[in-house]
Amino acid sequence: MRTVLLVALAALLLAVWAFPVLWALLTSFKTERDVLAYPPTVLFEPTLRNYRDVMFGSASLLPNLLSSTIVAGVSTLLTLLFAVPAAYALARLDLPAKRASGFYVLATQMLPPVGLIIPYYLVLQKVGGLDTYGGLIAIYLTFSLPFAIWLMVSYFEDIPREMEEAALLDRAGRLRALWYVILPQVRGGIAVTTIFVFLNAWNEFLFAVVLGGNRVRPVTVAMFNYISVEQTLWAKLAAGAMLAMAPVIVLGLLAQRHIVKGLTVGAVKGGGR
Amino acid sequence: MSAPVADMTTANRAGRVGLRGIVKRHGALTVLHGVDLDIEPGEFFALLGPSGSGKTTTLRILAGLEPLSGGRVMLDGDDVTEREPGERDVAMVFQSYALYPHMSVYDNIAFPLRMVATAPTDVDRAVREAATLVHIDHLLARRPGQLSGGQQQRVALARAIVRKPRLFLLDEPLSNLDAKLRLETRVELRKLQRALGVTTVYVTHDQEEAMTIADRVAVFIEGRIVQVGKPQEIFAKPASAIVAGFIGNPPMNLLPAEVRAGSLRVGGVDLRLNRALGADGPVTLGVRPAALRIAPTGLPARVYLLEELGDTTIIDLDVAGQIVKLRTDQPPHVREGDNVHVAFASCHLFERESGARRDE
Repeated sequence: MRTVLLVALAALLLAVWAFPVLWALLTSFKTERDVLAYPPTVLFEPTLRNYRDVMFGSASLLPNLLSSTIVAGVSTLLTLLFAVPAAYALARLDLPAKRASGFYVLATQMLPPVGLIIPYYLVLQKVGGLDTYGGLIAIYLTFSLPFAIWLMVSYFEDIPREMEEAALLDRAGRLRALWYVILPQVRGGIAVTTIFVFLNAWNEFLFAVVLGGNRVRPVTVAMFNYISVEQTLWAKLAAGAMLAMAPVIVLGLLAQRHIVKGLTVGAVKGGGR
Repeated sequence: MSAPVADMTTANRAGRVGLRGIVKRHGALTVLHGVDLDIEPGEFFALLGPSGSGKTTTLRILAGLEPLSGGRVMLDGDDVTEREPGERDVAMVFQSYALYPHMSVYDNIAFPLRMVATAPTDVDRAVREAATLVHIDHLLARRPGQLSGGQQQRVALARAIVRKPRLFLLDEPLSNLDAKLRLETRVELRKLQRALGVTTVYVTHDQEEAMTIADRVAVFIEGRIVQVGKPQEIFAKPASAIVAGFIGNPPMNLLPAEVRAGSLRVGGVDLRLNRALGADGPVTLGVRPAALRIAPTGLPARVYLLEELGDTTIIDLDVAGQIVKLRTDQPPHVREGDNVHVAFASCHLFERESGARRDE
């Protein structure tokens, strides 16, 4: 009986989450007219026209997908490049003000992004960073870096200190101890961090719409064009959303094994391995 | 089997260790109060002491893993105090073994060789040699997680011996094994060390382990070395009452006593002993359990408890309100509650205040 209830609850929750996605998927194959039909039709003649328009039409989203890829990809890469060594240092070395810096890192996550948008705009304007990849990526780093550091620290702290002490005695030196002994053991954490950081950058809208422009226009911003004062092109919007989701889903599937492991890691000692 | 052993020994440098006035502080707490120690090349040397006595810290300082607050570390006459762990040519077996979980046993053992760019054929030969020495050559393809505790311990040993260091540091290497395996491994470890001839520093809190395995022992109490010597010397002539109360199984009985006009007053009884007692004053009387026997005259005692161990019996006696242990391999002819007398064949005297030994 308990099992039945649990399964039912899980199914309900899954439906709540999956329904909008599935509905958008259906919508993306409808004509704009079918979309507006009331009551909504479930049986209709599917069309690929929306996808053709969204990809190869006059307002093609392909350049925007590229834009998103650059912004999300580069900011993820840079985040990992800085966050992994920083987290290692925070977890291991006896640095002065270690606690304070750890709290600062977390505190940046408590600010509502909207509160920062005007200062960021002014700063970027001053340095000529508006509507540039460098500008938007730099702004993303201010959020992703603290988050990634904070996440990675717990993974490093799970590795016993003796692990690298053994490596040091085995003549590895600190850098090679990190590379050969420690990093392979936090692979799961790096995968989880990658996904979270990439997802956040990929789906980010607020900063992209304000700080971007004609040159830097991620897909989230471009899709917004389908919503205008006169009409909302629901079918095209849905097709665009499906296109925007695809890379993230692929990435998620690739890293799924690590994510499930990674999410449990801090909870149970040694659960990540 | 003999060929690789010979090969392993030839490459060693001497492995002479010298600690000069080692001080270690953690904030306001002083963990080591100026430790001096000399270890001869090829010696199997045990650092023995209760937990928190500073023996593991001393080992870690030798390894270079712990910065020190004062003193120098000498290896073969060189001052290595400032040298990184990897530059000291020492290998360590950790209490937790610290095997690399993502690597196979083979790669674990090969790691210290690969870190100094050894030719693959040499790595392969050395890994197999070391694995054979500790009988894990059939496990090379496994991961540490697929091994038993005893096997993991051997992998850690192989990783230490593969590089032919001048010094082995072993931090309670047997403490995670079950009792039977611990006894077996103890013997094997001793034989392996003899065969390799590498200076070995061994940390343990188990006095029996230290006494059976080591050439010499340093006894640590509260951050100080209180005695250094061969196991037999420490057993026969403990330097202080604290050492005496720590060594032996069961350890020495310690009773408050007083030297007065050539006799020893214990529990209200004056004893005449055929040994020098020294100046009058309060002392601590130390008697090994095996030196005690039930006798027609002597100290009055009441039998408190009989502990039958098969071949020997420990008799717990109440002597003037204090429990004293007597060990005998004769069947005991007493029962709990009996009033008896005990005498002793030999004894030790320590100053009551300082605990220092009073020699005969």
